Amino acid sequence: MKNVTGHLPSVARVALGGIFVYAAVLKISDPVAFAGSIAAYQILPYFASYLAAAILPFLELICGLLLICNYRVRGAAVIVGVLNLVFMAALASAIVRGLDIDCGCFKQGGAKTSPWLAMARDAVFLAMTVVVIKGRNRQEEAVLVSLPIREQ
Amino acid sequence: MKNSLLVTSLEIAAIVLIAAVLGIGWNRTLLASAWKGEAAIQQPASPQAQTAQAGGEELVPMPIPLAQVKDMHDGKQAVVIDARSASTFIQGHIAGAVSLPLEEARKNPSSLKGRFSKDATIIAYCNGFSCHDSMDLGKLMMQAGYANVYVYEGGFPEWRDSGYPVAKGGA
Repeated sequence: MKNVTGHLPSVARVALGGIFVYAAVLKISDPVAFAGSIAAYQILPYFASYLAAAILPFLELICGLLLICNYRVRGAAVIVGVLNLVFMAALASAIVRGLDIDCGCFKQGGAKTSPWLAMARDAVFLAMTVVVIKGRNRQEEAVLVSLPIREQ
Repeated sequence: MKNSLLVTSLEIAAIVLIAAVLGIGWNRTLLASAWKGEAAIQQPASPQAQTAQAGGEELVPMPIPLAQVKDMHDGKQAVVIDARSASTFIQGHIAGAVSLPLEEARKNPSSLKGRFSKDATIIAYCNGFSCHDSMDLGKLMMQAGYANVYVYEGGFPEWRDSGYPVAKGGA
Protein backbone atom coordinates (compact mmCIF):
# COMPACT_ATOMS: atom_id res chain seq x y z
CA MET A 1 0.00 0.00 0.00
CA LYS A 2 2.83 2.35 0.84
CA ASN A 3 4.27 1.65 -2.57
CA VAL A 4 1.02 2.65 -4.28
CA THR A 5 0.64 5.94 -2.42
CA GLY A 6 4.31 6.65 -2.95
CA HIS A 7 3.88 6.49 -6.71
CA LEU A 8 0.58 8.36 -6.77
CA PRO A 9 2.09 11.82 -7.40
CA SER A 10 4.12 10.50 -10.35
CA VAL A 11 1.12 8.73 -11.85
CA ALA A 12 -1.05 11.83 -11.40
CA ARG A 13 1.69 14.02 -12.92
CA VAL A 14 2.08 11.96 -16.08
CA ALA A 15 -1.67 11.42 -16.49
CA LEU A 16 -2.42 15.11 -16.03
CA GLY A 17 0.35 16.02 -18.47
CA GLY A 18 -1.00 13.59 -21.04
CA ILE A 19 -4.55 14.94 -20.72
CA PHE A 20 -3.37 18.51 -21.18
CA VAL A 21 -1.18 17.71 -24.17
CA TYR A 22 -4.09 15.84 -25.77
CA ALA A 23 -6.49 18.75 -25.15
CA ALA A 24 -3.93 21.24 -26.45
CA VAL A 25 -3.20 19.41 -29.71
CA LEU A 26 -6.93 19.18 -30.56
CA LYS A 27 -7.31 22.91 -30.01
CA ILE A 28 -4.14 23.95 -31.82
CA SER A 29 -5.32 22.02 -34.87
CA ASP A 30 -8.55 24.05 -35.06
CA PRO A 31 -8.11 27.52 -33.51
CA VAL A 32 -11.14 29.01 -35.28
CA ALA A 33 -13.49 26.42 -33.82
CA PHE A 34 -11.93 26.87 -30.39
CA ALA A 35 -12.39 30.64 -30.67
CA GLY A 36 -16.02 29.90 -31.45
CA SER A 37 -16.28 27.71 -28.35
CA ILE A 38 -14.84 30.51 -26.22
CA ALA A 39 -17.13 33.10 -27.82
CA ALA A 40 -20.11 30.87 -27.01
CA TYR A 41 -19.42 31.41 -23.30
CA GLN A 42 -20.17 35.10 -23.94
CA ILE A 43 -17.54 36.16 -21.41
CA LEU A 44 -14.80 37.64 -23.56
CA PRO A 45 -15.29 40.26 -26.28
CA TYR A 46 -14.74 39.33 -29.92
CA PHE A 47 -10.98 39.76 -30.37
CA ALA A 48 -10.15 38.47 -26.89
CA SER A 49 -11.83 35.18 -27.80
CA TYR A 50 -9.37 34.77 -30.64
CA LEU A 51 -6.41 35.82 -28.50
CA ALA A 52 -7.36 33.30 -25.82
CA ALA A 53 -7.90 30.64 -28.48
CA ALA A 54 -4.40 31.36 -29.79
CA ILE A 55 -2.53 31.31 -26.49
CA LEU A 56 -4.44 28.94 -24.19
CA PRO A 57 -3.70 25.72 -26.12
CA PHE A 58 0.03 26.46 -26.13
CA LEU A 59 -0.07 27.12 -22.40
CA GLU A 60 -1.74 23.73 -21.97
CA LEU A 61 0.78 22.10 -24.28
CA ILE A 62 3.85 23.48 -22.52
CA CYS A 63 2.52 22.68 -19.04
CA GLY A 64 1.51 19.18 -20.13
CA LEU A 65 4.95 18.48 -21.61
CA LEU A 66 6.73 19.82 -18.52
CA LEU A 67 4.60 17.62 -16.28
CA ILE A 68 5.34 14.55 -18.37
CA CYS A 69 9.07 15.32 -18.55
CA ASN A 70 9.25 15.98 -14.80
CA TYR A 71 10.88 19.35 -15.43
CA ARG A 72 9.84 22.60 -13.68
CA VAL A 73 6.88 20.66 -12.35
CA ARG A 74 5.77 23.07 -9.66
CA GLY A 75 5.38 26.03 -12.01
CA ALA A 76 3.55 23.92 -14.58
CA ALA A 77 1.31 22.34 -11.94
CA VAL A 78 0.35 25.72 -10.47
CA ILE A 79 -0.62 26.99 -13.96
CA VAL A 80 -2.63 23.83 -14.62
CA GLY A 81 -4.41 24.29 -11.29
CA VAL A 82 -5.22 27.93 -12.03
CA LEU A 83 -6.42 27.02 -15.54
CA ASN A 84 -8.73 24.39 -14.07
CA LEU A 85 -10.14 26.96 -11.64
CA VAL A 86 -10.72 29.38 -14.52
CA PHE A 87 -12.40 26.65 -16.59
CA MET A 88 -14.65 25.74 -13.67
CA ALA A 89 -15.58 29.38 -13.09
CA ALA A 90 -16.45 29.77 -16.79
CA LEU A 91 -18.52 26.57 -16.75
CA ALA A 92 -20.30 27.66 -13.58
CA SER A 93 -21.18 30.99 -15.18
CA ALA A 94 -22.51 29.14 -18.24
CA ILE A 95 -24.67 26.94 -16.01
CA VAL A 96 -25.97 29.91 -14.02
CA ARG A 97 -26.87 31.81 -17.20
CA GLY A 98 -28.48 28.70 -18.66
CA LEU A 99 -26.31 28.72 -21.78
CA ASP A 100 -26.75 25.62 -23.91
CA ILE A 101 -23.16 25.30 -25.14
CA ASP A 102 -20.43 22.74 -25.62
CA CYS A 103 -17.66 22.98 -23.04
CA GLY A 104 -15.02 23.16 -25.80
CA CYS A 105 -12.63 21.32 -23.51
CA PHE A 106 -11.27 18.74 -25.94
CA LYS A 107 -12.46 18.07 -29.47
CA GLN A 108 -14.15 21.13 -30.95
CA GLY A 109 -17.56 20.68 -32.49
CA GLY A 110 -19.26 17.28 -32.58
CA ALA A 111 -21.17 15.95 -29.59
CA LYS A 112 -21.84 18.40 -26.79
CA THR A 113 -20.34 17.80 -23.35
CA SER A 114 -22.64 19.14 -20.66
CA PRO A 115 -21.17 21.86 -18.40
CA TRP A 116 -21.91 19.72 -15.33
CA LEU A 117 -19.89 16.78 -16.64
CA ALA A 118 -17.06 19.12 -17.63
CA MET A 119 -17.15 20.66 -14.15
CA ALA A 120 -16.85 17.25 -12.51
CA ARG A 121 -13.99 16.37 -14.84
CA ASP A 122 -12.16 19.61 -14.03
CA ALA A 123 -12.64 18.94 -10.31
CA VAL A 124 -10.85 15.59 -10.77
CA PHE A 125 -8.02 17.30 -12.69
CA LEU A 126 -7.76 19.87 -9.90
CA ALA A 127 -7.48 17.12 -7.29
CA MET A 128 -4.74 15.50 -9.39
CA THR A 129 -2.91 18.85 -9.51
CA VAL A 130 -3.05 19.08 -5.72
CA VAL A 131 -1.63 15.55 -5.45
CA VAL A 132 1.23 16.50 -7.80
CA ILE A 133 2.12 19.70 -5.93
CA LYS A 134 1.87 18.04 -2.50
CA GLY A 135 4.00 15.14 -3.70
CA ARG A 136 6.58 17.62 -4.94
CA ASN A 137 6.68 19.46 -1.59
CA ARG A 138 7.10 16.19 0.30
CA GLN A 139 9.88 15.10 -2.03
CA GLU A 140 11.77 18.35 -1.46
CA GLU A 141 11.36 18.12 2.29
CA ALA A 142 12.73 14.59 2.17
CA VAL A 143 15.74 15.80 0.19
CA LEU A 144 16.35 18.65 2.64
CA VAL A 145 16.14 16.33 5.64
CA SER A 146 18.44 13.73 4.14
CA LEU A 147 21.12 16.19 3.03
CA PRO A 148 22.91 16.78 6.34
CA ILE A 149 23.06 13.06 6.98
CA ARG A 150 24.80 12.45 3.68
CA GLU A 151 27.25 15.24 4.28
CA GLN A 152 28.48 13.74 7.54
CA MET B 1 11.00 28.23 1.22
CA LYS B 2 11.02 31.86 0.10
CA ASN B 3 13.50 30.92 -2.57
CA SER B 4 11.34 28.13 -3.95
CA LEU B 5 8.38 30.52 -4.12
CA LEU B 6 10.47 32.89 -6.21
CA VAL B 7 11.63 30.05 -8.45
CA THR B 8 8.05 28.88 -8.96
CA SER B 9 6.91 32.42 -9.80
CA LEU B 10 9.70 32.75 -12.34
CA GLU B 11 8.80 29.37 -13.83
CA ILE B 12 5.18 30.45 -14.17
CA ALA B 13 6.12 33.77 -15.77
CA ALA B 14 8.45 32.06 -18.23
CA ILE B 15 5.89 29.41 -19.20
CA VAL B 16 3.14 31.99 -19.75
CA LEU B 17 5.48 34.19 -21.79
CA ILE B 18 6.63 31.34 -24.02
CA ALA B 19 3.03 30.19 -24.52
CA ALA B 20 1.98 33.72 -25.48
CA VAL B 21 4.83 34.10 -27.98
CA LEU B 22 4.21 30.66 -29.51
CA GLY B 23 0.44 31.08 -29.58
CA ILE B 24 0.48 34.52 -31.15
CA GLY B 25 3.22 33.52 -33.58
CA TRP B 26 1.48 30.33 -34.64
CA ASN B 27 -1.88 32.06 -35.15
CA ARG B 28 -0.63 35.43 -36.40
CA THR B 29 -2.64 35.37 -39.63
CA LEU B 30 -5.84 34.42 -37.85
CA LEU B 31 -5.29 37.04 -35.16
CA ALA B 32 -4.52 39.73 -37.72
CA SER B 33 -7.77 39.09 -39.54
CA ALA B 34 -9.69 38.86 -36.26
CA TRP B 35 -8.21 42.22 -35.27
CA LYS B 36 -9.60 43.72 -38.47
CA GLY B 37 -12.94 42.14 -37.64
CA GLU B 38 -13.05 39.78 -40.57
CA ALA B 39 -11.80 36.64 -38.87
CA ALA B 40 -11.63 33.38 -40.65
CA ILE B 41 -14.86 32.89 -42.44
CA GLN B 42 -13.90 29.43 -43.57
CA GLN B 43 -15.28 26.62 -41.48
CA PRO B 44 -14.27 23.01 -41.74
CA ALA B 45 -16.95 21.69 -44.06
CA SER B 46 -19.14 18.96 -42.62
CA PRO B 47 -18.64 15.49 -44.09
CA GLN B 48 -22.07 15.61 -45.78
CA ALA B 49 -21.23 18.93 -47.39
CA GLN B 50 -17.97 17.54 -48.71
CA THR B 51 -19.58 14.52 -50.33
CA ALA B 52 -22.32 16.70 -51.77
CA GLN B 53 -19.76 19.10 -53.18
CA ALA B 54 -17.91 16.18 -54.70
CA GLY B 55 -21.19 15.34 -56.43
CA GLY B 56 -21.15 18.94 -57.65
CA GLU B 57 -24.84 19.58 -57.18
CA GLU B 58 -25.34 21.15 -53.81
CA LEU B 59 -26.12 24.83 -53.50
CA VAL B 60 -24.06 26.46 -50.81
CA PRO B 61 -24.97 29.86 -49.40
CA MET B 62 -22.32 32.57 -49.46
CA PRO B 63 -20.74 33.78 -46.22
CA ILE B 64 -21.26 37.46 -45.48
CA PRO B 65 -19.22 39.59 -43.07
CA LEU B 66 -20.50 41.68 -40.18
CA ALA B 67 -20.22 45.10 -41.88
CA GLN B 68 -22.34 43.99 -44.81
CA VAL B 69 -24.94 42.37 -42.56
CA LYS B 70 -25.16 45.65 -40.64
CA ASP B 71 -25.67 47.66 -43.85
CA MET B 72 -28.37 45.34 -45.15
CA HIS B 73 -29.98 45.16 -41.71
CA ASP B 74 -30.11 48.95 -41.39
CA GLY B 75 -31.34 49.38 -44.94
CA LYS B 76 -33.96 46.67 -44.38
CA GLN B 77 -32.73 45.05 -47.58
CA ALA B 78 -32.64 41.55 -46.15
CA VAL B 79 -34.63 39.12 -44.05
CA VAL B 80 -32.47 37.98 -41.14
CA ILE B 81 -33.33 34.49 -39.94
CA ASP B 82 -32.20 32.96 -36.65
CA ALA B 83 -31.36 29.23 -36.92
CA ARG B 84 -31.13 28.69 -33.16
CA SER B 85 -33.81 27.18 -30.95
CA ALA B 86 -36.88 29.28 -30.09
CA SER B 87 -35.84 29.45 -26.43
CA THR B 88 -32.39 30.79 -27.31
CA PHE B 89 -34.04 33.28 -29.66
CA ILE B 90 -36.18 34.58 -26.81
CA GLN B 91 -33.09 35.14 -24.65
CA GLY B 92 -31.63 37.49 -27.24
CA HIS B 93 -31.40 37.87 -31.01
CA ILE B 94 -30.47 40.34 -33.73
CA ALA B 95 -33.17 43.03 -33.65
CA GLY B 96 -35.75 42.39 -36.36
CA ALA B 97 -34.66 38.80 -36.96
CA VAL B 98 -37.17 36.03 -37.59
CA SER B 99 -36.90 32.82 -35.56
CA LEU B 100 -36.56 29.79 -37.81
CA PRO B 101 -34.97 26.97 -35.79
CA LEU B 102 -33.02 24.50 -37.91
CA GLU B 103 -34.73 21.56 -36.17
CA GLU B 104 -38.12 22.86 -37.25
CA ALA B 105 -36.98 23.53 -40.80
CA ARG B 106 -35.53 20.01 -41.03
CA LYS B 107 -38.74 18.41 -39.82
CA ASN B 108 -40.83 20.29 -42.31
CA PRO B 109 -38.73 21.61 -45.20
CA SER B 110 -41.73 22.25 -47.41
CA SER B 111 -42.97 24.86 -44.92
CA LEU B 112 -40.03 27.03 -45.95
CA LYS B 113 -41.52 27.60 -49.39
CA GLY B 114 -43.66 30.68 -49.58
CA ARG B 115 -42.61 31.87 -46.17
CA PHE B 116 -40.72 34.79 -47.69
CA SER B 117 -40.71 36.35 -51.13
CA LYS B 118 -38.74 34.19 -53.58
CA ASP B 119 -36.48 37.14 -54.47
CA ALA B 120 -35.88 38.16 -50.87
CA THR B 121 -32.31 38.40 -49.68
CA ILE B 122 -31.99 36.06 -46.74
CA ILE B 123 -29.26 36.09 -44.10
CA ALA B 124 -29.06 33.12 -41.74
CA TYR B 125 -27.11 33.20 -38.49
CA CYS B 126 -26.68 31.19 -35.29
CA ASN B 127 -24.17 31.12 -32.43
CA GLY B 128 -21.03 32.17 -34.24
CA PHE B 129 -18.14 30.39 -35.83
CA SER B 130 -18.52 27.10 -33.96
CA CYS B 131 -22.15 26.77 -35.03
CA HIS B 132 -23.03 25.15 -38.34
CA ASP B 133 -26.80 25.44 -38.03
CA SER B 134 -26.95 28.69 -40.02
CA MET B 135 -25.07 27.06 -42.91
CA ASP B 136 -27.38 24.04 -42.81
CA LEU B 137 -30.46 26.26 -42.65
CA GLY B 138 -29.08 28.34 -45.53
CA LYS B 139 -28.75 25.19 -47.63
CA LEU B 140 -32.33 24.18 -46.83
CA MET B 141 -33.49 27.65 -47.86
CA MET B 142 -31.66 27.32 -51.18
CA GLN B 143 -33.18 23.89 -51.73
CA ALA B 144 -36.57 25.47 -51.03
CA GLY B 145 -35.96 27.79 -53.96
CA TYR B 146 -34.58 30.97 -52.43
CA ALA B 147 -31.76 32.25 -54.61
CA ASN B 148 -30.21 35.00 -52.50
CA VAL B 149 -29.18 33.24 -49.33
CA TYR B 150 -26.23 34.30 -47.19
CA VAL B 151 -24.77 32.98 -43.97
CA TYR B 152 -23.53 35.39 -41.35
CA GLU B 153 -20.96 33.21 -39.63
CA GLY B 154 -19.97 35.65 -36.90
CA GLY B 155 -23.50 35.07 -35.68
CA PHE B 156 -25.17 36.48 -32.61
CA PRO B 157 -22.02 36.67 -30.41
CA GLU B 158 -20.15 38.89 -32.87
CA TRP B 159 -23.20 41.07 -33.55
CA ARG B 160 -23.90 41.59 -29.86
CA ASP B 161 -20.24 42.21 -28.98
CA SER B 162 -20.09 44.87 -31.68
CA GLY B 163 -22.81 46.73 -29.81
CA TYR B 164 -25.37 46.43 -32.61
CA PRO B 165 -29.09 46.31 -31.84
CA VAL B 166 -30.38 43.15 -30.19
CA ALA B 167 -33.84 42.28 -28.96
CA LYS B 168 -35.27 39.84 -26.43
CA GLY B 169 -38.44 37.75 -26.32
CA GLY B 170 -41.11 37.05 -28.92
CA ALA B 171 -40.30 34.20 -31.31
